[in-house]
Amino acid sequence: MGLANGFYNALVKRNSVFVTSIFVGAFTFGVGFDIGVSTFWDKYNKGKQWKDIRDKYATEAEA
Amino acid sequence: MASFAAVKKAVTLAPTVRTLPSGLPSAPLLNLAARGSSHGHDHGHGSGPRADKPARFTGGVSTGYTGGLISKTFQGALPTTHARLIHTSVAVKDAPQVPDFTPYQAASPDRNRAVSYFMIGTMGVLTASIAKSTVTGFLETMAASADVLAMAKVEVDLANIPEGKNVIIKWRGKPVFIRHRTAGEIEEARQTDWKHLRDPQSDEERTKKPEWLVMLGVCTHLGCVPIGEAGDYGGWFCPCHGSHYDISGRARKGPAPLNLEVPAHDFNEAEGKLVIG
Repeated sequence: MGLANGFYNALVKRNSVFVTSIFVGAFTFGVGFDIGVSTFWDKYNKGKQWKDIRDKYATEAEA
Repeated sequence: MASFAAVKKAVTLAPTVRTLPSGLPSAPLLNLAARGSSHGHDHGHGSGPRADKPARFTGGVSTGYTGGLISKTFQGALPTTHARLIHTSVAVKDAPQVPDFTPYQAASPDRNRAVSYFMIGTMGVLTASIAKSTVTGFLETMAASADVLAMAKVEVDLANIPEGKNVIIKWRGKPVFIRHRTAGEIEEARQTDWKHLRDPQSDEERTKKPEWLVMLGVCTHLGCVPIGEAGDYGGWFCPCHGSHYDISGRARKGPAPLNLEVPAHDFNEAEGKLVIG
Protein backbone atom coordinates (compact mmCIF):
# COMPACT_ATOMS: atom_id res chain seq x y z
CA MET A 1 0.00 0.00 0.00
CA GLY A 2 2.97 2.26 -0.44
CA LEU A 3 1.51 3.75 -3.60
CA ALA A 4 -1.84 4.54 -1.97
CA ASN A 5 -0.28 6.18 1.07
CA GLY A 6 2.25 8.01 -1.08
CA PHE A 7 -0.54 9.47 -3.21
CA TYR A 8 -2.52 10.46 -0.12
CA ASN A 9 0.38 12.07 1.68
CA ALA A 10 1.76 13.85 -1.37
CA LEU A 11 -1.41 15.31 -2.87
CA VAL A 12 -4.49 14.93 -0.71
CA LYS A 13 -3.41 15.69 2.82
CA ARG A 14 -3.40 19.47 2.38
CA ASN A 15 -6.45 20.84 0.63
CA SER A 16 -4.44 23.67 -0.92
CA VAL A 17 -2.12 21.15 -2.54
CA PHE A 18 -5.07 19.00 -3.60
CA VAL A 19 -6.94 21.86 -5.29
CA THR A 20 -3.76 23.21 -6.89
CA SER A 21 -2.88 19.82 -8.30
CA ILE A 22 -6.43 19.49 -9.65
CA PHE A 23 -6.07 22.78 -11.55
CA VAL A 24 -2.59 21.91 -12.78
CA GLY A 25 -3.93 18.51 -13.79
CA ALA A 26 -6.82 20.13 -15.63
CA PHE A 27 -4.41 22.36 -17.58
CA THR A 28 -2.11 19.45 -18.44
CA PHE A 29 -5.09 17.28 -19.34
CA GLY A 30 -6.45 20.00 -21.62
CA VAL A 31 -3.15 20.35 -23.48
CA GLY A 32 -2.70 16.59 -23.76
CA PHE A 33 -6.29 16.10 -24.88
CA ASP A 34 -5.91 18.70 -27.63
CA ILE A 35 -2.69 17.14 -28.85
CA GLY A 36 -4.23 13.68 -28.79
CA VAL A 37 -7.34 14.68 -30.71
CA SER A 38 -5.31 16.64 -33.29
CA THR A 39 -2.97 13.70 -33.81
CA PHE A 40 -5.90 11.34 -34.26
CA TRP A 41 -7.61 13.50 -36.90
CA ASP A 42 -4.35 14.22 -38.69
CA LYS A 43 -3.80 10.47 -38.95
CA TYR A 44 -7.43 9.86 -39.95
CA ASN A 45 -7.21 12.51 -42.71
CA LYS A 46 -3.69 11.71 -43.79
CA GLY A 47 -3.06 12.73 -47.39
CA LYS A 48 -6.10 14.98 -47.59
CA GLN A 49 -4.86 18.10 -45.88
CA TRP A 50 -2.98 20.96 -47.48
CA LYS A 51 0.11 20.40 -45.35
CA ASP A 52 0.29 16.84 -46.67
CA ILE A 53 -0.14 17.68 -50.37
CA ARG A 54 1.65 21.03 -50.41
CA ASP A 55 4.76 19.52 -51.95
CA LYS A 56 2.84 18.42 -55.04
CA TYR A 57 1.59 21.89 -55.91
CA ALA A 58 3.94 24.47 -54.44
CA THR A 59 7.08 24.98 -56.46
CA GLU A 60 10.45 25.24 -54.83
CA ALA A 61 10.62 29.00 -55.17
CA GLU A 62 7.33 29.51 -53.42
CA ALA A 63 8.15 27.01 -50.75
CA MET B 1 -93.93 -40.56 12.88
CA ALA B 2 -95.06 -44.03 11.88
CA SER B 3 -92.39 -44.50 9.27
CA PHE B 4 -89.72 -43.27 11.75
CA ALA B 5 -90.83 -45.87 14.36
CA ALA B 6 -90.48 -48.68 11.82
CA VAL B 7 -86.64 -48.29 11.55
CA LYS B 8 -86.10 -47.95 15.27
CA LYS B 9 -84.08 -51.01 16.39
CA ALA B 10 -81.74 -51.89 19.15
CA VAL B 11 -78.08 -52.21 17.92
CA THR B 12 -75.17 -53.63 19.85
CA LEU B 13 -71.76 -52.38 18.58
CA ALA B 14 -68.76 -54.69 18.72
CA PRO B 15 -66.23 -53.65 21.41
CA THR B 16 -63.03 -52.00 20.08
CA VAL B 17 -60.78 -53.21 22.86
CA ARG B 18 -60.66 -56.37 24.89
CA THR B 19 -61.79 -56.17 28.42
CA LEU B 20 -59.96 -57.82 31.28
CA PRO B 21 -61.97 -60.03 33.68
CA SER B 22 -61.68 -57.22 36.20
CA GLY B 23 -63.64 -55.00 33.83
CA LEU B 24 -60.69 -52.71 32.86
CA PRO B 25 -59.84 -52.21 29.17
CA SER B 26 -56.75 -54.14 28.11
CA ALA B 27 -54.04 -51.82 26.70
CA PRO B 28 -50.90 -53.98 26.55
CA LEU B 29 -48.92 -51.62 24.21
CA LEU B 30 -49.41 -48.52 26.32
CA ASN B 31 -45.91 -47.63 27.54
CA LEU B 32 -46.15 -45.07 30.29
CA ALA B 33 -42.32 -45.02 30.71
CA ALA B 34 -41.64 -43.82 27.12
CA ARG B 35 -38.88 -41.21 26.98
CA GLY B 36 -38.96 -38.18 24.69
CA SER B 37 -36.10 -35.87 23.75
CA SER B 38 -34.97 -33.52 26.45
CA HIS B 39 -35.02 -30.38 24.32
CA GLY B 40 -38.22 -31.28 22.59
CA HIS B 41 -37.09 -30.47 19.09
CA ASP B 42 -37.07 -33.91 17.55
CA HIS B 43 -40.77 -34.51 18.13
CA GLY B 44 -40.41 -37.59 20.28
CA HIS B 45 -38.09 -39.51 17.96
CA GLY B 46 -34.99 -39.12 20.05
CA SER B 47 -33.98 -40.90 23.19
CA GLY B 48 -34.38 -39.47 26.64
CA PRO B 49 -37.40 -38.30 28.60
CA ARG B 50 -40.02 -35.95 27.15
CA ALA B 51 -39.55 -32.39 28.19
CA ASP B 52 -43.04 -32.17 29.63
CA LYS B 53 -42.74 -35.45 31.51
CA PRO B 54 -42.90 -34.74 35.20
CA ALA B 55 -39.96 -35.86 37.22
CA ARG B 56 -40.24 -39.24 38.83
CA PHE B 57 -40.30 -37.87 42.32
CA THR B 58 -43.38 -35.77 41.66
CA GLY B 59 -45.46 -38.85 41.18
CA GLY B 60 -46.77 -40.60 38.06
CA VAL B 61 -48.74 -43.50 36.77
CA SER B 62 -47.66 -46.97 37.61
CA THR B 63 -48.82 -50.09 35.75
CA GLY B 64 -47.30 -52.68 38.07
CA TYR B 65 -50.46 -53.29 39.98
CA THR B 66 -52.73 -55.89 38.36
CA GLY B 67 -55.79 -54.29 39.71
CA GLY B 68 -55.42 -51.36 37.26
CA LEU B 69 -53.44 -48.13 36.58
CA ILE B 70 -52.43 -46.29 39.73
CA SER B 71 -51.66 -42.56 39.65
CA LYS B 72 -49.70 -41.03 42.50
CA THR B 73 -48.90 -37.39 43.16
CA PHE B 74 -46.57 -36.47 46.01
CA GLN B 75 -47.72 -33.40 47.83
CA GLY B 76 -44.31 -32.46 49.20
CA ALA B 77 -41.79 -32.30 46.36
CA LEU B 78 -38.21 -32.85 47.37
CA PRO B 79 -36.17 -29.64 47.64
CA THR B 80 -33.75 -28.82 44.86
CA THR B 81 -30.20 -29.08 46.01
CA HIS B 82 -28.18 -26.83 43.63
CA ALA B 83 -26.96 -23.55 45.06
CA ARG B 84 -28.80 -20.37 44.15
CA LEU B 85 -26.24 -17.63 44.47
CA ILE B 86 -27.36 -14.11 45.17
CA HIS B 87 -25.06 -11.41 43.91
CA THR B 88 -25.33 -7.75 42.88
CA SER B 89 -22.73 -7.50 40.17
CA VAL B 90 -23.98 -7.25 36.60
CA ALA B 91 -23.77 -10.53 34.85
CA VAL B 92 -21.17 -10.69 32.10
CA LYS B 93 -23.01 -10.99 28.83
CA ASP B 94 -21.35 -11.78 25.57
CA ALA B 95 -23.22 -10.79 22.44
CA PRO B 96 -23.73 -13.93 20.41
CA GLN B 97 -26.48 -12.26 18.39
CA VAL B 98 -24.07 -9.79 16.65
CA PRO B 99 -23.27 -11.11 13.16
CA ASP B 100 -19.75 -11.61 11.96
CA PHE B 101 -18.88 -8.68 9.69
CA THR B 102 -15.36 -9.73 8.85
CA PRO B 103 -16.15 -10.63 5.22
CA TYR B 104 -17.49 -7.11 4.68
CA GLN B 105 -14.67 -5.22 6.31
CA ALA B 106 -12.17 -3.41 4.08
CA ALA B 107 -9.02 -5.32 3.43
CA SER B 108 -7.02 -2.09 3.51
CA PRO B 109 -8.52 1.22 4.71
CA ASP B 110 -5.51 3.12 3.30
CA ARG B 111 -6.13 1.85 -0.18
CA ASN B 112 -9.85 2.64 0.02
CA ARG B 113 -9.09 6.18 1.16
CA ALA B 114 -6.59 6.72 -1.65
CA VAL B 115 -9.03 5.35 -4.25
CA SER B 116 -11.83 7.60 -2.96
CA TYR B 117 -9.69 10.73 -3.14
CA PHE B 118 -8.32 9.69 -6.52
CA MET B 119 -11.85 9.47 -7.90
CA ILE B 120 -12.71 12.85 -6.38
CA GLY B 121 -9.57 14.39 -7.86
CA THR B 122 -10.20 12.89 -11.29
CA MET B 123 -13.74 14.25 -11.34
CA GLY B 124 -12.33 17.63 -10.30
CA VAL B 125 -9.83 17.58 -13.15
CA LEU B 126 -12.55 16.73 -15.68
CA THR B 127 -14.91 19.37 -14.31
CA ALA B 128 -12.20 22.03 -14.30
CA SER B 129 -11.16 21.33 -17.88
CA ILE B 130 -14.79 21.36 -19.04
CA ALA B 131 -15.33 24.68 -17.28
CA LYS B 132 -12.14 26.05 -18.81
CA SER B 133 -13.09 25.07 -22.36
CA THR B 134 -16.60 26.47 -21.86
CA VAL B 135 -15.25 29.83 -20.74
CA THR B 136 -12.63 29.81 -23.51
CA GLY B 137 -15.33 29.08 -26.06
CA PHE B 138 -17.35 32.08 -24.96
CA LEU B 139 -14.29 34.35 -24.91
CA GLU B 140 -13.28 33.24 -28.40
CA THR B 141 -16.56 34.58 -29.76
CA MET B 142 -15.42 38.04 -28.67
CA ALA B 143 -12.08 37.78 -30.49
CA ALA B 144 -11.58 39.64 -33.73
CA SER B 145 -12.42 37.57 -36.79
CA ALA B 146 -9.83 36.79 -39.41
CA ASP B 147 -11.02 39.42 -41.89
CA VAL B 148 -10.72 42.12 -39.23
CA LEU B 149 -7.26 40.92 -38.24
CA ALA B 150 -6.20 40.95 -41.89
CA MET B 151 -7.10 44.64 -42.12
CA ALA B 152 -5.50 45.51 -38.81
CA LYS B 153 -1.92 45.62 -40.06
CA VAL B 154 -0.31 47.66 -42.75
CA GLU B 155 3.11 47.11 -44.23
CA VAL B 156 5.05 49.98 -45.73
CA ASP B 157 8.19 49.63 -47.81
CA LEU B 158 10.60 52.15 -46.33
CA ALA B 159 13.00 52.05 -49.29
CA ASN B 160 10.49 54.08 -51.32
CA ILE B 161 10.48 57.02 -48.90
CA PRO B 162 13.37 59.41 -49.47
CA GLU B 163 14.90 61.38 -46.65
CA GLY B 164 13.05 64.53 -45.72
CA LYS B 165 9.74 63.35 -47.21
CA ASN B 166 6.32 62.68 -45.74
CA VAL B 167 4.11 59.75 -46.67
CA ILE B 168 0.46 59.44 -45.72
CA ILE B 169 -1.08 55.99 -45.69
CA LYS B 170 -4.44 54.71 -44.54
CA TRP B 171 -4.57 52.40 -41.55
CA ARG B 172 -7.82 51.31 -39.88
CA GLY B 173 -9.66 54.10 -41.62
CA LYS B 174 -7.32 56.82 -40.42
CA PRO B 175 -4.38 58.59 -42.02
CA VAL B 176 -0.91 57.78 -40.75
CA PHE B 177 2.02 60.13 -41.26
CA ILE B 178 5.41 58.60 -41.88
CA ARG B 179 8.32 61.00 -42.05
CA HIS B 180 11.85 60.13 -43.00
CA ARG B 181 13.61 62.74 -40.93
CA THR B 182 16.92 64.25 -41.80
CA ALA B 183 19.79 64.38 -39.33
CA GLY B 184 19.10 68.07 -38.78
CA GLU B 185 15.46 67.43 -37.97
CA ILE B 186 16.40 64.70 -35.51
CA GLU B 187 18.83 67.06 -33.86
CA GLU B 188 16.18 69.75 -33.65
CA ALA B 189 13.57 67.37 -32.20
CA ARG B 190 15.95 66.10 -29.57
CA GLN B 191 17.30 69.49 -28.54
CA THR B 192 13.85 70.86 -27.71
CA ASP B 193 13.21 71.57 -24.05
CA TRP B 194 10.30 69.12 -23.99
CA LYS B 195 9.76 69.16 -20.23
CA HIS B 196 7.91 72.48 -20.43
CA LEU B 197 5.64 71.55 -23.28
CA ARG B 198 1.88 71.16 -22.95
CA ASP B 199 2.15 67.36 -23.29
CA PRO B 200 5.72 66.65 -22.19
CA GLN B 201 7.18 63.76 -24.17
CA SER B 202 10.74 63.23 -25.34
CA ASP B 203 11.53 62.42 -28.93
CA GLU B 204 13.09 59.14 -27.80
CA GLU B 205 9.72 58.07 -26.37
CA ARG B 206 7.92 58.82 -29.60
CA THR B 207 10.21 57.12 -32.10
CA LYS B 208 11.66 53.65 -32.26
CA LYS B 209 14.25 54.68 -34.79
CA PRO B 210 15.13 58.39 -34.82
CA GLU B 211 14.97 58.74 -38.62
CA TRP B 212 11.44 57.36 -38.84
CA LEU B 213 8.56 59.24 -37.24
CA VAL B 214 5.23 57.40 -37.37
CA MET B 215 2.10 59.18 -36.14
CA LEU B 216 -1.66 59.10 -36.52
CA GLY B 217 -2.56 62.03 -38.77
CA VAL B 218 -5.48 63.14 -36.69
CA CYS B 219 -5.34 66.48 -34.85
CA THR B 220 -5.86 65.88 -31.15
CA HIS B 221 -8.07 68.94 -30.95
CA LEU B 222 -11.12 68.07 -33.06
CA GLY B 223 -9.85 65.44 -35.47
CA CYS B 224 -8.88 67.34 -38.61
CA VAL B 225 -5.93 66.13 -40.68
CA PRO B 226 -2.94 68.44 -40.22
CA ILE B 227 -0.86 69.62 -43.16
CA GLY B 228 2.73 68.46 -43.31
CA GLU B 229 5.86 70.61 -43.54
CA ALA B 230 4.00 73.63 -42.29
CA GLY B 231 3.50 75.64 -39.15
CA ASP B 232 5.73 77.69 -36.92
CA TYR B 233 7.82 74.74 -35.77
CA GLY B 234 8.61 73.08 -39.10
CA GLY B 235 6.32 70.15 -38.46
CA TRP B 236 2.58 69.97 -38.95
CA PHE B 237 -0.14 72.57 -38.96
CA CYS B 238 -3.82 71.96 -38.50
CA PRO B 239 -5.80 74.38 -40.68
CA CYS B 240 -9.07 73.96 -38.78
CA HIS B 241 -8.16 75.80 -35.57
CA GLY B 242 -4.49 76.59 -35.98
CA SER B 243 -2.66 74.00 -33.95
CA HIS B 244 1.08 73.78 -34.55
CA TYR B 245 3.08 70.57 -34.15
CA ASP B 246 6.87 70.31 -34.23
CA ILE B 247 9.06 67.86 -36.15
CA SER B 248 8.40 65.22 -33.48
CA GLY B 249 4.61 65.70 -33.70
CA ARG B 250 4.31 67.41 -30.34
CA ALA B 251 1.64 70.08 -29.79
CA ARG B 252 3.42 73.44 -29.49
CA LYS B 253 0.85 76.08 -30.22
CA GLY B 254 -2.91 76.40 -30.68
CA PRO B 255 -5.81 74.53 -29.07
CA ALA B 256 -4.45 70.97 -29.44
CA PRO B 257 -4.16 69.46 -25.92
CA LEU B 258 -2.01 66.44 -26.76
CA ASN B 259 0.77 65.37 -29.09
CA LEU B 260 -0.09 63.48 -32.25
CA GLU B 261 -0.68 59.86 -31.31
CA VAL B 262 1.99 57.29 -32.12
CA PRO B 263 0.48 53.92 -33.15
CA ALA B 264 2.07 50.61 -32.28
CA HIS B 265 4.57 49.92 -35.03
CA ASP B 266 7.56 47.74 -35.71
CA PHE B 267 10.41 47.56 -38.17
CA ASN B 268 11.16 44.53 -40.27
CA GLU B 269 14.89 44.99 -40.72
CA ALA B 270 15.41 42.06 -43.09
CA GLU B 271 12.95 43.31 -45.71
CA GLY B 272 13.23 47.02 -44.91
CA LYS B 273 9.58 47.31 -44.05
CA LEU B 274 7.54 49.15 -41.48
CA VAL B 275 4.62 47.25 -39.92
CA ILE B 276 1.89 49.35 -38.33
CA GLY B 277 -0.51 47.57 -35.98
